[in-house]
Amino acid sequence: MTLRITDLHFGYGRRKILHGVDLTAHKGELLGLLGPNGSGKSTVLKNIARIHTPTSGSFRWDETVALEDLSRRELARLVAYVPQTIDVSFELDVREAIVLGRTPHFAGRPTAEDWDHVDRAIELLGLGPLVGRSVTELSGGQAQRVLIARSLAQQPSILLLDEPTSALDIKYQLQTLRLARQITRTAQVAAIIAIHDLSQAARYCDRIAFLQDGHVLAVGTPEDVLTAERIEQMYGIEVSIIHANGSVQVIPRDEPDSAVALEAATAAA
Amino acid sequence: MTEVLETPDARKQPDAVTELTGGGRLRSAATGFRAFTRTDTGRRIVIGSGVLITLVVSVWALSFGGNAIGIGDALAALRAKLTFSPAADSATARLYLQVWELRVPRVLLSLVAGAALATAGVLFQGLLRNPLVSPYTLGIAPAAAFGASYAIVFIGAETGGLSSSAWVVVGALTVSIVSSVFVLALAATKRSDPSTLILLGIAVTQFFTAATSALQFTADQETLALIVQWTWGSVNGALWSQVLIVSALFFAVYPLVQRKSGSLNAIAFAGDDAAKSLGVPVTSTRLSLIGLAVVLTAVTISFTGIIGFVGLVAPHIARLLIGSNHRFLLPFSAIIGGLLLVVADSVGRTVLNPAVIPVGIVDALIGAPVFLYLILAKRRATS
Repeated sequence: MTLRITDLHFGYGRRKILHGVDLTAHKGELLGLLGPNGSGKSTVLKNIARIHTPTSGSFRWDETVALEDLSRRELARLVAYVPQTIDVSFELDVREAIVLGRTPHFAGRPTAEDWDHVDRAIELLGLGPLVGRSVTELSGGQAQRVLIARSLAQQPSILLLDEPTSALDIKYQLQTLRLARQITRTAQVAAIIAIHDLSQAARYCDRIAFLQDGHVLAVGTPEDVLTAERIEQMYGIEVSIIHANGSVQVIPRDEPDSAVALEAATAAA
Repeated sequence: MTEVLETPDARKQPDAVTELTGGGRLRSAATGFRAFTRTDTGRRIVIGSGVLITLVVSVWALSFGGNAIGIGDALAALRAKLTFSPAADSATARLYLQVWELRVPRVLLSLVAGAALATAGVLFQGLLRNPLVSPYTLGIAPAAAFGASYAIVFIGAETGGLSSSAWVVVGALTVSIVSSVFVLALAATKRSDPSTLILLGIAVTQFFTAATSALQFTADQETLALIVQWTWGSVNGALWSQVLIVSALFFAVYPLVQRKSGSLNAIAFAGDDAAKSLGVPVTSTRLSLIGLAVVLTAVTISFTGIIGFVGLVAPHIARLLIGSNHRFLLPFSAIIGGLLLVVADSVGRTVLNPAVIPVGIVDALIGAPVFLYLILAKRRATS
C-alpha cells in the first residue's frame, strides 16, 4: 500500500509555500522529509493531515482512497499526526492524554475497546510506570513517547511525525527515531518524518525526500540523495560525506575553519 | 503489536513514598486520593457526593435570612407547598409564603446561576486553552453593565409595558449578546485562535468600561447608586420567573455541551493542529461552544448582575478534585458553581443581618481564600 501525493500546492493568501509537491510513502517504510527552514516540510505534513487545506493536489491511499474526499473524522482514522511537543496548560494523566487518539473512533465517551487500544499502546511504548502521572510532569523524551502512543492508539495507516526530535537532547533524539522506525515496521504504517539532522535521517530513514522552497529536489535512498554537492546547493555549506557503521554521515567542513578565522581576526584586532 | 519497543527511561519509577512520617502520610493520602479521583468510579463517587452536599446545603440555606427559621420549618413549608396542603394558621401561612416566594427562588437562582457561570467558565478555559480566562473574557460583563446602565439612566421608570427592572434585563442582555456576536463574527471571518479571541475581548472590555464610566459620570447620585448596585451581582429579589428562564436555558444548553466533551478534550489538551488531526472541526466547535457559553453567561448576569468569581474558580476547584477530563469536569464544575453561590448567598444574608451583602461580593471573599488553600495544599502534596 502506498500514499501517493500528486501536484500539491498550498499558500497563505498570496504567499505560495508549496509548488506542486509529488511524493510517495510506502507501507512499512519511514520516509524522511529534509530541507532548510521554511522549505515546506511541516506544511506538507499538515496538508496531508488536513490541518491546512491545500490549494490543489491529490492524495491517494492504496491508489483507490482519495483522502480529500474523506470527512475529517474518517481521515483521522487513517492518518495520525505527531506534533513537535505536548502543549497543555492543564494537568492531564498520561492515560487520558493517550485516549485522545481514540477521538475519531468513539462517539460520546471511550468504550472498553478504546481503552484496550490505549493499554496496548502504553504496553508497546513501555509507558506503564508513567501512567499515574500528569503529562505536565514528564521530561521531553517521555512526553514525546506519550504523543507517539497517542498516535498509535489512533490506529492509523499513515503516520506523520512533525520534527519530533527538535526539542530533545541527543539521547531522546536517537530513542525517538529508533521508536519511529520500529513502529513503522511493527505497526506496518507508511510513515513520513520531518527532520533536520542529515546524519540521523540517513541512519534511520529508508528513503529521503529533499524539499527546497516548496519543491521536491530529490527523492531516494540516503546513499543516493545525500551528496556533498546537493547539500552545498541547498544549505550553502560545505560538507564531507563519509560512510561509517553502514550509514551515511554528513560532516560540516566550514565550521572549524570559521572558528580559526574568527580567532585570527580577533587576535589581529 | 505486543512487543515492547525499546524505551530505556520508562523503567524509571515515579518516586514512591517510602517514609511514612506525618508529612509522608499526608502525601501518601493525597496521592491515594488523587489516584482514586482519577478513576471513573472515583469521579462518579465524588460527583455524587457533590450533588448530595449541594442538596443538603441548599435545603439548609432556606433557614437563613433576616427572619431566621428552623430547618424543620423550612422543610415543612416545602412539603406543604409541594403537596398543596393548607397552612394551619395565618402565621404559618406567612412563613410558608416567605419560604416559597422569597427563599426558594433565591436559593434556586443561586444554584442555577452558579452552575451556568461555572459551565461557561469550563468552556472558555478549555476552548481558549487558558486556565486564567473566565466567562467574561470576551467582554460580556462590561457590555452587560453598559446595557443595564443605559436602561437605568435613559429608560428609568415603566415604559412600553415593561417595568424598569425588566428594561435593565433587556438592556444587559441585548448589549452583551450583540457585542459577543460581533466578536465571534470577527473571529469567524478573520481568525478564531485563542489569542485573537482574548485580544478582541480586551478591546471590547475597554470600550464598554469607558462607555459605562461615561454614563456614570453624567448620572445623578441615585442613578449612580443603582448602576453600582447592579454591577455587584446579587440574587436579592429573585423571582420564580427568573429561576424558570435561567433553568430552562441551562438545561437546554447543558446536554449540547456535555455531548461535545470529547471534542473539548481534544482542543484543550492537544491544541488546534493536533485536534484537527484527531478529526475535530476546531473552528466550528470552538465558535459554537463559545456561542453557547456566551448565551449562558449573558442571560444569567442579565438577571443577577455581574457575579465575578464563580466562573473562574469553580472549574479550578473541580479540576483540582477530579482532574481535567471534561466528561466529568463539566458536571462537577456546575455542581461546585451552584454550591459556591448558595453558600456565598447564605453567608451574605447572615453575617451583617439585617443587611444583605450581594452574592457577587461574598462569592469573591469566600472563593478566593478557598481557592488559594486548594492551590497551596496541592503544591504541598505534590512537592
